[in-house]
Formats: sequence, structure tokens, C-alpha cells
Amino acid sequence: MRRSNPLLVIGLVLVLGQALMAVLAPWIAPYGPDAQDILARLHGPEAAHWLGSDNFGRDTLSRILFGYRTLFAISVASVLAALGVGGGLGVLAAMRGGWLAVVVMRCMDVLFAFPIILLAIAVIAVLGPGAVSTGIAIGVVYVPIFARTLRGPALLLREADYIAAARASGTTEMKILWRHVLPNLSGIVLVQTSLSLSTAILVEASLSFLGLGTQPPTASLGRMLAESRNFLVLSPWVAVFSGAAILLASLGFNLLGDGLQERFDPRA
Amino acid sequence: MGHTGVLNALTRRLGELSVVAFGVSVLSFLMIRLIPGDAVQIMLGANAEVTPAQIAALRAKLGLDQPMVLQYGDWAWRALHGDLGTSVWTGRPVLEEILPRVGVTAELTLLSLAVAAVLAVPLGCLMATARRRSADYTIRLLSIVGLTLPSFWLGTMLLYGVAALAPDAQLLGWVPFGEDPLGNLQRIILPVIALALPVLASLSRVMRASMVEVMRQDYIRTARSKGLSEGSVVGVHALRNAVLPFMTSFGIMAGYLFGGSVVVEQVFALPGLGRLMLGAIAERNYPLVQASILLATLSFVVINALVDVLYAVVDPRISRA
Amino acid sequence: MKLAAAVVLGVSLIAAPVVRAQVLEIATDQSPVGLDPHVATSFATQLITSTVYEGLTAIDSALRVVPALAQSWKVSEDGKTYRFMLREGAMFHNGRAVTTADVIASVARVRDPKTGSPYASRFTSVTSVVADGNDVVVTLDQPSAPFLSQLASLVIVPPEAVGELARRPVGTGAFKFHEWVPDTYISLDANAAYWEKGLPHLTGLKFNIVPEAATRQLGLQSGTYRMVPSLDAATATALAGSTKVKVAATQDLAYSLIGLNVSKAPFDKPGVREAVNFAVDRAQLVQAAYFGRAVPGGPLSPALADWALPVSDFPCYKPDPAQSKKLLTSAGLTLPVKVTLNVLGSLQQVVDVAQVVQAQMNKAGFEVTLNVQEQGKFIQDWRGGNFEAFASLNGGGIDPDDYFGRTFATGGATNVYKFSLPALDQALVDGRSASEVGRKMLYEEVQRDLACNGPVVHLAYGTLFTAVRADVQGFTPNPTRSLRGLREVSISP
Repeated sequence: MRRSNPLLVIGLVLVLGQALMAVLAPWIAPYGPDAQDILARLHGPEAAHWLGSDNFGRDTLSRILFGYRTLFAISVASVLAALGVGGGLGVLAAMRGGWLAVVVMRCMDVLFAFPIILLAIAVIAVLGPGAVSTGIAIGVVYVPIFARTLRGPALLLREADYIAAARASGTTEMKILWRHVLPNLSGIVLVQTSLSLSTAILVEASLSFLGLGTQPPTASLGRMLAESRNFLVLSPWVAVFSGAAILLASLGFNLLGDGLQERFDPRA
Repeated sequence: MGHTGVLNALTRRLGELSVVAFGVSVLSFLMIRLIPGDAVQIMLGANAEVTPAQIAALRAKLGLDQPMVLQYGDWAWRALHGDLGTSVWTGRPVLEEILPRVGVTAELTLLSLAVAAVLAVPLGCLMATARRRSADYTIRLLSIVGLTLPSFWLGTMLLYGVAALAPDAQLLGWVPFGEDPLGNLQRIILPVIALALPVLASLSRVMRASMVEVMRQDYIRTARSKGLSEGSVVGVHALRNAVLPFMTSFGIMAGYLFGGSVVVEQVFALPGLGRLMLGAIAERNYPLVQASILLATLSFVVINALVDVLYAVVDPRISRA
Repeated sequence: MKLAAAVVLGVSLIAAPVVRAQVLEIATDQSPVGLDPHVATSFATQLITSTVYEGLTAIDSALRVVPALAQSWKVSEDGKTYRFMLREGAMFHNGRAVTTADVIASVARVRDPKTGSPYASRFTSVTSVVADGNDVVVTLDQPSAPFLSQLASLVIVPPEAVGELARRPVGTGAFKFHEWVPDTYISLDANAAYWEKGLPHLTGLKFNIVPEAATRQLGLQSGTYRMVPSLDAATATALAGSTKVKVAATQDLAYSLIGLNVSKAPFDKPGVREAVNFAVDRAQLVQAAYFGRAVPGGPLSPALADWALPVSDFPCYKPDPAQSKKLLTSAGLTLPVKVTLNVLGSLQQVVDVAQVVQAQMNKAGFEVTLNVQEQGKFIQDWRGGNFEAFASLNGGGIDPDDYFGRTFATGGATNVYKFSLPALDQALVDGRSASEVGRKMLYEEVQRDLACNGPVVHLAYGTLFTAVRADVQGFTPNPTRSLRGLREVSISP
């Protein structure tokens, strides 16, 4: 009998809660994400602005709610795409072997060898900054990571006795993949995905810091944090709350990943 | 395992290395030229009064009027002969520009990795052994917080923190280690903290995960049932096997560290390779971008090759595959 | 005894850097891109070259033309011939005396199309430059009011060094080039052979490239840096109460603007351009994007007190979203009018301004999309006229004729808007030969023409903040951002 798993519950609540806020943002946000009120700028928390306002008098709470939309759209989409493409290529290379594996893994090496941030910068520089190119850039960055992370364990599995036995008894490669390989990889996939999601948030924030990433006036948590430095000496509230929002998002993904790992690990 | 296995892995890796080097050089060459705007535009700045003819003249001066394939062929031919070109702005060989920077980035990243790795092992073990108890949860939460803080943000906060606590402390800028070892270390403390914290958080999680994995294995149960002390079970049997995935993540961390150092060097104004590259991209200093990306990626590939070879040493199943 | 000697030695070793600290450590945000003073014209480059080079004339902090390499000059009655008496004892940093031939060669170099100098267009009216003993005589084909101030930008370089100028500057200024470590620092040594005896007081300058604003600020407070040129308004406000740091403020000649492409819809119609002016609330913009430290501006900087009309003279400067919408409708457009605004992304100030303007315009019948661009891309689109509208920061000018001529005259060198107004072209031609009073009236007319229907929506002139440590003496900020004044700066012990 498994013990209840508080991490999983907290993680699930955090992620679902934030996803819900992202979806409902247009209805629950007290102001528009870009609505400026110059007279009420750099306010601390107050009745009209629960979490204060930024240098243009935009409501921090509303921007955070809309920021979750950007965050989910960019991080989740790019990481899942990278998992599909990169993970698929990694497992394929491991199961097939031969020249295909060599070509795929060398391509992954080339991408992987590129310093992450430079790869992202180059992709964005070529595509022009914006939410879509940021998503693509982050996706491109994570493709080789998933490929490499999954190839190693998949290689080990291929050599495992029970899979060799299955193969000897005539089970098709597809069935081996579905029945034996993928379920055994789920743990590492979940860990890597949760880690990647939280670091994807950071990559987005770092890109914003370097002036790339999502472009103004789009509400993005990373960009809010990066821009808050400009008036930090006058009012720290945007920095505090956007930082906290990033923290909660990352915390949710991490706890969810950890909890899922403990829940579904076949050997637990 | 044996030496032949290691040697084979090594030679195969060296062969792959040249393929990757070629791929990286083509990719970086293409990418930087696909970025709109070139050195001439940047040099003139916004609002300069020039005619298209003048721009064409400046472009020819910098060799930017050649077809791209010719430019690449020319570059590759020279590179193979050890000539990586000259920096557009200073006119010095790019290697002369790059080499003094390597030390800064190497010191920053290696120190950060060392600090993080040294702390991650005990933290990871602690989390694994105290699994699902409050110590585990506390450290895990803290590690997630560590993962979540962007380096630039942490760096800025450290700056303000220090300014509040010790306003006259000389913690900014850069002094070469050879000139003033103490001053050098004093000025690298903050950058190392900013860079090492996320790495520490990430490594300790990896350490925990692999320790948990190992602790479930039969031989640990066997060791326990033989009546060995918990300390020697964890310290000797578990640790040795748990280090394997930990080492692989070192390879991945090398990439993260380099990316992070770009940001940290920017925040703390350190004259490292990351800033050189960032500046070179912004200024469209093609030869410099080309050479520094090539060098950075090559060293990165070498590190990962070494990790793989080590992996093969520890786990012979890989080298058979 | 020996111990005491060792202690003394130790103390003097510790104290030694304090004595040598006459090197002014400067923290600046951007690395210069090439150092050729005739070609590289970005702010980052000029900051450094302004301490290394000198022209025949210079612009002082009150925007007056003062002698530099020319000791004095005489202008002929018809205003077409200038005779410059060359400064005695002026030496290049390579040890060679400055001659009339160097002046002639420098003028020729700027005008040579092969050099690609952005300043070439300022000297198209020059018909001859000849030496006469120790004098240089310059003849123009027509009188030119801004000629003396324009000469300040034509710095004198030694012809034997031009091949290397982009990397190793050789000038006549108070400081000479020492070393350039890209993206890290540029160091300059004092020029011991400087023609003005007793100057400079400092033994050197070191321009540290420090991209992060917080690092510049905290480095200044801890004493790592002694000077931060061009501080942002928020930091300047935060530093205002500090006892260790002085903040000098001067009206910036540079201004934020929205540029409109008059060769494309919708801004080909003057009414639509006027609508943008009504849509923008400059007072609010100054509060939001400049923390209140700027003044709304018209076509000329308020720093040019003799020329600039007060903004109250421009009817369209009164924010009126309803009027804006009305103008758009009567121009035959359906609301909202969709506009893409290119934004120079490398300057946070510009990005801030663009966001405020976007919000204001969206309330007045427009639907603005921001296209924040990396510097290289922005400049490319800007130069190619590949924009509907853009937000940027322009350098401005200290002479109306010079500024209007290159920016708004038909075919002007930086007239990327494709603007053409025959009346304005005529006024500029007339102004060159007009009396001072006549010139003023003509330029007032030009300002009225440009303010509401011109291709540029002039927004605000910021404040140029320069922060120095309290022990830095004798620094006066210059609205042109030139740091030539550092020759008179010293550090009090």
C-alpha cells in the first residue's frame, strides 16, 4: 500500500491552480495587462492594486495573471515539443543503432555542443524576437538534451535480459518499445520534463534580461522580473511579486515531477 | 572493461569530434550571417548620414561583399592552417582576443562547478537517506528555490545586499589571479555564488534521485542484511554506484555553466568568453564569433567525451553497445 | 628598526595605489564599435574619441563654439571665406607637430566617398582648403551659419596613421590611446605634450564597459568607479541623496521620437501625422518613461534657448484623443488604424517610451503593434526606409540649419522618412544668408511647419545625468555628450 504523497498533491494543486489562472486571466484580472495609469505608478500593495503597480502604473496582479498565460504557452509548448522530437530521436537512435543512430546523435551533438544561451540568442536573432521565436529557441535548446538523456537508459534497456528474452521469443520491436522500453523510461522522462520546464522558465527570463525573449508590452513573468531592475531602487514590489510568481510556477512543476516519479516508478 | 575498451571509446570519440566541429562551424557561420544587419550598420550607429555607395565601400573594406560560400571556404581553409582570422574592430588575431578571456570563464565555471559538486553530494545523500522526512522536504524545497532564481536576478540581489552590508567592499571588476590572488578571489565570490547556486540545486537533486534508485537495489539490501553500518552502506556501496548518473549530469552542467556564465559575466562585468561572444554577436564581429563559438563548443564536446569515456570505464555495458 | 622599516614599506605599498589613483575609472554601458572618429559615429564611440581628438573648433558645455586646434579665426564679409590660425605647439600623440597639411588632409578624408564618413554631407559646401603660412583658408560656395560648430566634429588626424585609426586612435587631445580590450575596457594615458600647458590633471582614463546598470551604480558607490556618464533617471533619483556621489545634470540634446514614413499609408497624409501628435500626452510620457526628469520638446531642443519655440506654440501638443480620432476619420480611414512601430531595443529608455506611446495611441483611434528590434536590424530597416513608424532616440544638433537640413530637407542625409516640403527647403536656403533676426523668424516658421505635420513626432528631451564620486573636481557635463572637459578634471586627494 502506497503512502499518500504530499508532494504530488501540492505540485498538482500548484500547477493546476496556475493553469486555471492562466485560462481565466481575461475574466478574473482586475485590469487589462497593458492598461496604464501613469498617476498610480510604482505603488505598493493597496486596495486598488493588490500587488502594486509598475513604472507605467500597470496592475502587477493582472500582469502576473496574464504572465502565466505566456509562461504556459511558451514553456509547456516548447518543452513538450522538444520531448517529442528529441526524446523520439534519442529512443529511435538507441533501438535502431547503426548509421541512423550515428547521424542522429552527431546532429544532436552539434546542437548540444552549442552553448544554450547562444543557441537561443542565435535562433531569436535570426527569427526576430517575440513569443513564438522564444518558444522555438527554447525548444531547439531542449531537443538534444532529451535525445541524450533518453538514449543512455534506452541503450541499457535494449541490452537488458528481459528484453533480450522478449526479442528471442519473437516479440516485435514495436511491442518491445511500447511494453518494455517506454514504461521503463517514464520515470526519467518525468524528471527531465519537470526539470526542463522549470529551467525553461529561467531561460525565458535570462533571454528577457539580455533584451530578447518575449517583447513588450506582452506580460511575461521573466520580462517583468528583468524590467523590474530598472526601478528596483524606487519600488521593489514588481520584483518581489513577479519573482514569487516564477518561484511558484517552478515549484509546481518540480513537485509534480517528483511526486509523479514516486507514484509511477514501477520499482517503487 | 580493460584499456582497449577505453582506448576504443576515446578514438571513436575523437573521430566524432571532428564531425561535430565541422557541423558547429557551418551552423555558426550560417547563423550569424542570417542575423539581419551587419558590422557596417552597427559601426555607423543609428542616425548616421551615409549613402548606399558609402555603405558598399565600407562593406567591401570588411570583406562582406563576397558570396557566402566563398567566405566560408576561405575561413575554413585558413582555420585548418591555424589562422582563425582577425577581429574586425581591433585588427588583432582573434586567438589573441580569445585566449586572455578563457582564463576568466574557466576560473568562474570550474570554481562554481567545484563548489556545487562538493556541496551537492552530501546534500543529495542527506535527502535520499532522510527520504520523505522533514529534512528531505526542506532541502528539496530549498533546492527548487535555488533552481528557480535566475542568475541575473540573484547577481543583482547579491550586489544590493553587499552594498547595504559593506558599502566600501571592493567586490566588483576583475583582477587577474597572477597579479593579485587575494583580490581576484575577493572579486569572484559573488559571481561564483550567483552561478553555483542553480547548479548546486540541480546537482543535489540528481544526486538524490540516483541515491534513491541505488538504495533500492538488492546488493544494498544484502549489504544491510550482512549487518554493515548504515554509514558504510551509504558511503561505500551506494555512493559509488550513485555517482554514475551524477557524472553524466556534469556533462550537461558544463553547458549550463557556460550559458550561465554569459549572464553572470554580463552582470558583474567580468571580461570572460561569454561577454566576448555576446559583444561579438551584437557587433557582428564575424571572425570573432566564429572562432569563439568553435572553441567553446569544442571544449564542451571534449568534456562530454571525457564523461562518456569515464562512463565506459565505470559501466562496461556502454562500451559494448 | 627593521620591523619599523617593513611596516613603513608595507604602509607605503598599501598607500601607493591611492597616489596613482589619478586614473579616472569610468563605467560606461556600451562598447565602442570601431574608433575611427570620421566613420564610427555611435554614442559609445564618440564618448571615447571626444577625449582623444580635437577639431579646429570645439563645443563647450554652454554650446558655444570655442577655439581648439585653431587658435583663432576670421570670417570674410560675405561669410564665404574662413581663415583659421593654427595652434602653436599642438602635437599628435605620435610625436609629430600638427601642420596645415594635416588639416587639409583631414577635410579631404571626411569628404572622400571611399572613407564613408557620415559627416561628409556637412562639408559639401566647401570649395577649397588651402594653406597660407601657418593659416588654413577654407572657402565655401555659400555662407553657412552652422559651419564653425560643424567643424568641431571634423577632428584632425595624422594622415600617416589613418590605416589603423579604427583600432589605434592617434589624435591631439589631452589623452592618448593606450589599450583596448574589447567589451572590457579602453585605457588612455595623459598626453604629456598636450598644447595647453598644465592640462590634463589626470594621469589617465579607463573606460570600463559595464553593461548592467546596478553594477555601475554600486561600483560607483563602493569607489570601484569614479564616473558614470549617462545615468538613467531612476538611478539618478536614487543617488540624489548620496554624500559620496555627485550627480550633474544637463539638458540632453538627444530626444525621443516617433518617426513616420511619409511615403507609405497611413502616414502619407499630414492629417494622420497630426493625429499622432494629438494622441500623445507628452507630460504623462515624461512622468512614466523619464521619472519626470525630461521636458516635452518640439523640433528644436530647449537647450537651444535662442532658437527653440516653446511647445505651447504648437496647438497639436495639447493631448486630445477625440481630435485625433476625428482627424483619422476625416482622412478617410476606418478606426482603429493599424500601425506597426519599430522600436530600437538596445535602449531601455526607448522601449519604455514606445510602451507609453503605444498605450496612448491605442486610446486615440490607433491600434499599435510594437516590433522591438535588435540594434542591427533596427538600423537596417531605418536606413532602408523599411518601416511604417519607429521609436528611437536621435542625437539632435546644436545648430538648427544643420539639424533641419540633414533630417527634413528634401534628400537630406538622414531624411529616412522621405519627407519633402519645398517651403522648408527654401527657408533653409534663405536662412543661410539671412541676418540673425531673419534666420530666427525663418526657423520659427520651419518649427511650426514641422511640429504638427512633419515626419517626426518629437516627444521629449531627457536629462543627461553624469555621476561622479565626490572627490572628482572640475567636471562640467556637456549636452553634446562630449567628454573633452575631462582634461580639466582632477581627483582631490
